[in-house]
Amino acid sequence: MARFLLSRAVQAVVSILGVSTIVFVVMHLSGDPTLLLVPEGASREDVALLRRQLGFDRPLAVQYADYLASLARLDLGTSLVQRVSVASILASRLPYTLLLAAGALTVALGIGLPVGVIAGVWRGTLVEKLLMPVVLVGQSMPTFWSGILLILLCAVTLDVLPASGADSWSSLVMPSIALGALSMATFARVTRTGVVEELGKDYVRAGRAKGVATASIVLRHVLRNASIPVITIAALEVANLLAGAVIVETVFAWPGLGQLAVQSIAGRDFLIVQALVLLASFTCVALNLLADLLYSVVDPRITRLAGAR
Amino acid sequence: MWRIAWGLAIWGLVLSSLPARAQGGKETLSVDLPGEPATLDPHVQWDTDSYHVYRNIFDNLVTRNPDGKIVPQIAKAWRYESDTVLVLDIRTDVKFHDGTPLTVDDVVWSVQRITDPAFKSPQLSQFNSIVKAEASGPDRVRLTTSSPYPALLAQLVKLSIVSHAYVQKVGNEKFNIEPMGSGPYRFVGWQKGVRVTLTANDGYWRGRPPFKTVTFQVVPDTATRIANLKTGRSDIIRQLNPDDAASLKGESRLQILSIPTERTGYLFINALYGPTKDVRVRRAIAHAINRQLLVDALLGGYGRPVSILLTPANFGYVEGLKGYPFDPPRARQLLKEAGAEGAEISFYTSPAYDQRLVQAIQQMLQEVSLKVAISQTDQPTFLKRRQGKPEEAGSISLGRWSCACQDADGVIFPLFQSQSLWAKYANPAFDDAVTRARQTLKEEDRLKHYREAFAILEQDVPGIGLYQDFAIYAARRELSWKPTANEAFFVMEMKWQ
Repeated sequence: MARFLLSRAVQAVVSILGVSTIVFVVMHLSGDPTLLLVPEGASREDVALLRRQLGFDRPLAVQYADYLASLARLDLGTSLVQRVSVASILASRLPYTLLLAAGALTVALGIGLPVGVIAGVWRGTLVEKLLMPVVLVGQSMPTFWSGILLILLCAVTLDVLPASGADSWSSLVMPSIALGALSMATFARVTRTGVVEELGKDYVRAGRAKGVATASIVLRHVLRNASIPVITIAALEVANLLAGAVIVETVFAWPGLGQLAVQSIAGRDFLIVQALVLLASFTCVALNLLADLLYSVVDPRITRLAGAR
Repeated sequence: MWRIAWGLAIWGLVLSSLPARAQGGKETLSVDLPGEPATLDPHVQWDTDSYHVYRNIFDNLVTRNPDGKIVPQIAKAWRYESDTVLVLDIRTDVKFHDGTPLTVDDVVWSVQRITDPAFKSPQLSQFNSIVKAEASGPDRVRLTTSSPYPALLAQLVKLSIVSHAYVQKVGNEKFNIEPMGSGPYRFVGWQKGVRVTLTANDGYWRGRPPFKTVTFQVVPDTATRIANLKTGRSDIIRQLNPDDAASLKGESRLQILSIPTERTGYLFINALYGPTKDVRVRRAIAHAINRQLLVDALLGGYGRPVSILLTPANFGYVEGLKGYPFDPPRARQLLKEAGAEGAEISFYTSPAYDQRLVQAIQQMLQEVSLKVAISQTDQPTFLKRRQGKPEEAGSISLGRWSCACQDADGVIFPLFQSQSLWAKYANPAFDDAVTRARQTLKEEDRLKHYREAFAILEQDVPGIGLYQDFAIYAARRELSWKPTANEAFFVMEMKWQ
């Protein structure tokens, strides 16, 4: 177990170091941020002065070493545009994104899992044929469009939910549905496949032969075994949700990291964009690590197999 | 079944009572901005979303009235002692929100703060002609410039006066998130990513502010801003595109407010490199573009064709130059004379520019036999190339220029003076005209130099003006307000009808 954990952790560290380097190179490839920060009419001397003061005139290698050293100290710097520390800006936005991700996951799992189980158990029946298209429609609609439809319906026509902001719990409803609908069908399909596969196995037949109720077999045995792919997908979907949040948060003016990303790119806030990309990659790596750990909790055979290798 | 329907209906009723409404009587003005203010420290950022908010918290040294004329604010009068020394009389009856009086020391310190290179203000280049600020009496300030600088007052329109004592006490970072000034509204709170709330400063020296509370919401998506306006959650929204404005025309409870700004949409043409090095090719390009069609079809009429690279909202705008009327046969003839039929020209652009305009112009130039290759990159790369060497800058590119000073000096000097970053053009006669225009304070002389400069530009065509940009707002019909050419957003100027 310890060896399994250690190897995964080492892989995670290597990934993060690689990502940090890529982020640095990409950000500096796209040119000198100084040009973006000065007003249009600035003279050559103005630009040179600001460049020197921001330290962008130093050799790239020096800037890279400086950047890694700050990262090691967990120092993300101070936003050149907002003049506030990047960490505090991120911290003020993170809770909203977590809230939205939780809301979206609730919608996605709350609808996707039951639909998948029902579709698996009643495979080939009318119930499945009715349910699956419904979740597929949810996944097929791009969020920038479904979000606006939701606003037109719930905010403009029915006038029951606010179109934007983060003033009360009611503000969270529409963004969660718009974002959650994306992952719903994925969860439903993966669950269905898992359930169908498990239902054909010997232990199910043995259970049935013993006279155990179908409901009990499905809920107590099949679901547990069918949940492994669902966990993997859930970890990957959380990363997708974070990416999807960029659009959803913009449409609903939800003050999370996605909206911050769009604002910072538009506002030319170099260091915040850099920190956001790092945070997103870090989250991805952490979620994958978490998924690996969860497998071994759900199915101890995985650890044993890895240990034997 | 019916039970479920009833249940849903009741649930809907309960929910509908929950959301917080913005209007709350007529005491509150709720404004939707497309972006979050970057800073509320008026000496740092000056993007539109930031100054829409902070210009209501602070007073400026001088200001512009709704007609665009420079009028007193904190300075009640001013005169030039010499070509390089401006003396301003400062009001002594103004108080900051914390009750302390605004003094000449605060004015002097505000100038010193924004011009201190170590403070790294992005606005530095607008004020760094001021080399010295000093008090010359209890209500008098002397500003010395390095050379005569005619646009000085136009720049001082943007100088907010901050409290020396308060900024020193709380420090720059805290001042930025909890600003305190002397303006009509005092700062209440800033929920990051959501809204900034201001409340009326009842003792304001220019009179009682029109609304008790003003809130500025961050709503990036245009469709969402429109939904908020339609449902009454906001009273005025900023930055609509012409299509959105057209779709709101039929709404009886709303109004579209638009104003020609000092921003010019223009086409840069490289006069130092490539096929466009030949002036006949540049003139052909100028003849090939149908400005009226661009304005009507792509800007929905929210723009006005210009024949020089400046708007009538700027000082230095000269009448009587006819520019290059739309004339494709003439364009083709010029290209034939230059032997440039079928010549390939590169059109550099970035996502910051309207791609419909880029494609329309490409089409118009291809109609007269030029081959136009559009090359799109990210904005930093675009700027690096556009501001780099002539051979790297491409043949043409689109731009939208505003100096926020409403003066020709802030437009054609940085664009075309041969030493400037943007210029891919060199003509000593032009350099001489624009340099002389910035060395004298006499308006008639300056106009004479600008007439000369624009006449040279018309001959040489290192770029052409396409249209004067309009700012578009939408508001509830009851709101009375006239937007201004410099896109100021003074809540003091608004009221309910």
